[in-house]
Amino acid sequence: MTTTIHVGGESPKMQSFANYFDGYSAVVRRVEIAIDDTSDGAFLVVSPPEVEALYWRLDDIRVVPDQAANDTIILAYKGDRVSRLSISDEETRRIITARCPNLHKRPTVENRGRLAVWSFGAVASVALIIFGLVPLLADQLAEYLPPKGEQALGDATFEQIRAALSETDLFPVTICENPDGVAALDKMQARLSDQVDLPYPLTVHVLDHDLVNAFALPGGRVVLFRGLIDAADSPDEVAGVFAHEIGHVVNRDPARGALRSAGSVGVLGLLFGDFAGGTVVLFMLNRLIDATYSQEAEALADSFAHKTLSATNIAPSALADMFERLREEGDEEGGILAHFMAHPELGDRIKSARDADSQLTATIRPSLSPDEWAALQNICE
Amino acid sequence: MTSSTLQTDYAGKRGALFKLALWSSVLTVLTAGFYRFWMKTRLRRYYWSAIRPGGQPLEYVGEPLEKLLGFLIAVTFLAFYIGIVNLLLMFLSFSIMNNNLWAYGFSFVGILPILFFARYRARRYILARTRWRGVRLGMEQGAWGYTWRALLHWGVTILSLGLLWPRMTFWLEKYRTDRTYFGSERFNQGGKWTMLYRPMLHIYVPALAMAAIALWVYFSASAASDSIDDTLLALEGYENLAFSLLLFPWFVFGLAYFSAKSFERLTNAKTVGPIGFISKPRPWRVFWIYAFGYGLISIALTLLIGAVGIVFFALIGDYGPDVFDENLALATPPLWMLTAVSMLSYFAIFILWGALKHVLVTLPLARHFAETLQITGSESLSDIAQRDRDELDQAEGFAEALDVGAAL
Repeated sequence: MTTTIHVGGESPKMQSFANYFDGYSAVVRRVEIAIDDTSDGAFLVVSPPEVEALYWRLDDIRVVPDQAANDTIILAYKGDRVSRLSISDEETRRIITARCPNLHKRPTVENRGRLAVWSFGAVASVALIIFGLVPLLADQLAEYLPPKGEQALGDATFEQIRAALSETDLFPVTICENPDGVAALDKMQARLSDQVDLPYPLTVHVLDHDLVNAFALPGGRVVLFRGLIDAADSPDEVAGVFAHEIGHVVNRDPARGALRSAGSVGVLGLLFGDFAGGTVVLFMLNRLIDATYSQEAEALADSFAHKTLSATNIAPSALADMFERLREEGDEEGGILAHFMAHPELGDRIKSARDADSQLTATIRPSLSPDEWAALQNICE
Repeated sequence: MTSSTLQTDYAGKRGALFKLALWSSVLTVLTAGFYRFWMKTRLRRYYWSAIRPGGQPLEYVGEPLEKLLGFLIAVTFLAFYIGIVNLLLMFLSFSIMNNNLWAYGFSFVGILPILFFARYRARRYILARTRWRGVRLGMEQGAWGYTWRALLHWGVTILSLGLLWPRMTFWLEKYRTDRTYFGSERFNQGGKWTMLYRPMLHIYVPALAMAAIALWVYFSASAASDSIDDTLLALEGYENLAFSLLLFPWFVFGLAYFSAKSFERLTNAKTVGPIGFISKPRPWRVFWIYAFGYGLISIALTLLIGAVGIVFFALIGDYGPDVFDENLALATPPLWMLTAVSMLSYFAIFILWGALKHVLVTLPLARHFAETLQITGSESLSDIAQRDRDELDQAEGFAEALDVGAAL
């Protein structure tokens, strides 16, 4: 819609009325308004009764945004926080809209410096808490968590993870319980944990899920996914991963991780608000499954695995075989490789697993007989 | 009615609000939540300007960036509290009680004072950024006083099994109102707390009836059986419990009735110097807005979820029979595609729910409460002078960070 306002080369004499609020009292003043084109620029002249007229430069007039009524526009003047002019007359609104070039210009940002300071403050504070204080405190407290408490923590997390991984959202992921498979797994566990002294029993479960992964939970829980067993070429490879996870259990890494996430979840929730209803929580749970412990923690679990495997006459290089093949195949689903890729020195870890074969003192004995291995492979049937 | 009585008209339109709410929630999701400060500001400008007592709209003058600043300040302090306190509570809870319920309980109790504090602060900020006829509203400091009073009132109300709810509602409203200003003139909350018993009628009666039926069923069942197990067994067969379910709609009506009637009585007992209010909201209308609004939202969301389901099947179907023989690996759609579709539908449902709630519930309610409100003694408005601007660095940061009163 075009509005012709220039008639015969001259600006029209807009003469109209509006409601004026001076920002000093709650009085509604009916005022006369007119546009005055001077050599100094164009002005809106607002003439309240009995008071000196105001000159609003047309360039500096702004419209108050997001108003519900479409029969009125409300004008404000740049640099004046309180005065308002409310115009209902249709013709006047049209002229104002046509003549004021910056009606919708945004106000300049005040407090730039303070915004920057506090943005930095908030980010620094959150970073300090999540990456500094929470881990520090969690590491200290994990030592003092009584075994029963740690087990309860593990039980709670286990159920949460089973529910989170479920595809149907109705039933948690199934725990595989084929008796022959469980017997084979028990045998492997007995062999690997012979030398281990824990304040609680070590428990291992296989979850019926495609993920090529394994993780440890507080309270001596180790969880293997069926996908991992499917991907293994020999029982020794499974034993290698199992031993690595036992290493995490012995070092109490899962308890530290769980306490850390207890501290971090709330803080992250604070930052993102509820804009997408709890996605942060889900995200954190996923991180827990993929639990990326520190490089030292991984190295310690590795060396524990090497020692345990050698001591029980299983070649530590089985672990290296598993890593290597997964790397070659390129594991698209994430899972164990992503878990280990998080650490740049995967190559080093493969090498150190190979080197650990030198720790072997007796003849290698496979961790399971062919029959037992077959049973373990069918544990989810 | 004298000539100095002002009617309130309402200028809000569903279409315009829907566009605003939908578009700003899309931006909020796209910016990982950071646009929410702008979204909230814009929605408030709209809602405020729609309410026009005496034909003059309210104006909301809060700025998005001051909200962001306040939020950042709040996060700086709260991060410490939430992170460390939650961690310690989780540790203690698992060490001593062997479960996490105590941690959740304690962390809730620990955060309660901050919640009340944050709510008072948020209300103060909102009032300080509200103007009518060019004059600011405002609220005195008093968040800590409000916090301990609210804690005590809640404690007493819970101990009284809800019988003292009207007392709490009245005194907390009075605390807030008596500290509120319109320009130079102070608000006053008159009336007595007992005046809120009548509005509770349709909550107390169905609640009592439900409790009585449950007790009667339990005792008559236990009289007929010997052991507790038998009692519980007998309970399952009772149809009388179903009867108490019929009382539920009555209870819901009671909630609508209370919100309309308590607003009416509290508002009519408020004064600002010689200025007074007459409010006459209709309970049935409020009930109908809730019932109709949420009913329509449920239908819309059900349709959307159905559509999402069809898209999902289409996707899987596409990858199914056609390519199955040639390439087994492609028999299922790639994970990223399924993830993208589920993320998209999740956000679509989330956004639609919010936008529909604005146009089907919040706007009609605001319209009804506005249109049934009159302001008396308006000739004294000319005596009211401006008040100073309240800077309020923290804006509503604490409430924002903790998600209380976050809707508007």
